[in-house]
Amino acid sequence: MQTLSGPLEQQVLFKGSPEGLRLLLPPELGWEEIMQQIQQRLDAGERLWQGGFTVLLECQDRLVDAPQLEQIAQLLTTQQLTLTKVRTERRQTAVAAAVVGLNIDQSPVRDQSPVREQSLTTWEEPLYLQQTVRSGVKIVHPGTIVVMGDVNPGGEVYAQGDILVWGKLRGLAHAGSAGNNQALICALYLAPTQLRIAELLARPPEGAPPDQPEVAYIQNQVIEIALATEFRAVNHGRRS
Amino acid sequence: MGKVIVITSGKGGVGKTTTTANVGMALASLGKSVALVDADFGLRNLDLLLGLENRIVYTILDVLSGDCTLEKALVRDKRQSQLALLPAAQTRDKNSITPDQTRTITAQLAESFDFVLVDCPAGIEQGFKNAIAGAERAVIVTTPEVSAVRDADRVIGLLEASGIRDCALIVNRLRPKMVKANDMMSVEDVLEILAIKLLGVVPEDEKVIVTTNRGEPIVLSETPPPAGQAFLNIARRIQGEEIPLLNLEPPAPGVLERLINLFRRSN
Repeated sequence: MQTLSGPLEQQVLFKGSPEGLRLLLPPELGWEEIMQQIQQRLDAGERLWQGGFTVLLECQDRLVDAPQLEQIAQLLTTQQLTLTKVRTERRQTAVAAAVVGLNIDQSPVRDQSPVREQSLTTWEEPLYLQQTVRSGVKIVHPGTIVVMGDVNPGGEVYAQGDILVWGKLRGLAHAGSAGNNQALICALYLAPTQLRIAELLARPPEGAPPDQPEVAYIQNQVIEIALATEFRAVNHGRRS
Repeated sequence: MGKVIVITSGKGGVGKTTTTANVGMALASLGKSVALVDADFGLRNLDLLLGLENRIVYTILDVLSGDCTLEKALVRDKRQSQLALLPAAQTRDKNSITPDQTRTITAQLAESFDFVLVDCPAGIEQGFKNAIAGAERAVIVTTPEVSAVRDADRVIGLLEASGIRDCALIVNRLRPKMVKANDMMSVEDVLEILAIKLLGVVPEDEKVIVTTNRGEPIVLSETPPPAGQAFLNIARRIQGEEIPLLNLEPPAPGVLERLINLFRRSN
């Protein structure tokens, strides 16, 4: 099975930092997709977004024009977040930001290669989503993902850490997507289309699962499923 | 200011156009002014279902190009003067109009009509994006089949991502007998996956096919059969939601339960 190195770069990321909330735009992704992802993130964490935060937009070497900056600013406003600053390596983006009246940080390399490499190998904070992950929606996160809601058939969740679904997991879940075979997939109702942990892949057993929370984990190179009440994560050789 | 509601499904053939025609007609019969917009460029059907095909002179494109006024392009229904249809262009495709243009047109219609219902084409491509552009609410039509429900789920996700939160569901062509025999998904099964509010359930009815072919929506029948009654109830729920600002309660369970019980008893 292939490891998923690509998709991580393709995700919009929100990160907390001393300067406020940082919003990182992936360089390759289409604009429409970016707007959808931002909207998704804003919706999913509604209760977690404390209004009044200022947001620093990191465009890196992506070209963003003034209308697009305004679009983002407007989206953020719906959650009482204020776009104040843009960090970019492109002159044109900086000019666009000036037109919209935002602060500009053109210092290059500051968040580049060495630091960024590192941020991908260390785990991110857990991603908390309060939403139904519907068919066609793909969530990728370099850390643990918590879904308060269902993951529907056709929905996909990829985490470098664990996946916890406080609801019904009926789509595809891939925990430890960067190769961590200690990763777990937990769900109140575990009836996935497919389960993946690290490099391993499993289809769920035929028939309806028990009406109880279950945990999927790797043991002896096979994905096993156990009732949550009989599974002790602490005994699973977790690293933390 | 009227409400702009898009009627969509993802999958084709589940009854979007039939629903648009019937709900539109029912709303008009309740005394509301209704504009139906056919957004299915190149595969227009809504005019057929309403029996208005031979009265079309102009289409949306003529309005956009400035060849005629919006008022002039609207085809008024002969039975319900409260109902008007804005036809799609049959000779063009989905790329001949942009989301911004749809937004302009629906906003303009909303100024003079209580309800603007947009009949969305199947799929999630350009035609879908056009159709949902001006909508503030969405009605998702599905049948109790896994494929239709899967597509509905996808569409709800896309609607939410484009900022349309007010989504309600119509389960169309339900066969209570088959549900009872466990041969068909039940309304509960569908709702469990889609997790949005239910606007109504329409039972499978051959009369719908007959009336559709005749160009006379089933709600116009003197004594509407259950399917027609279901569409009338849906229209009532749609207009009932206008009173409170954002009613997140499920639609009047009394009526619905009675309806479902009615079907159960008839078996």
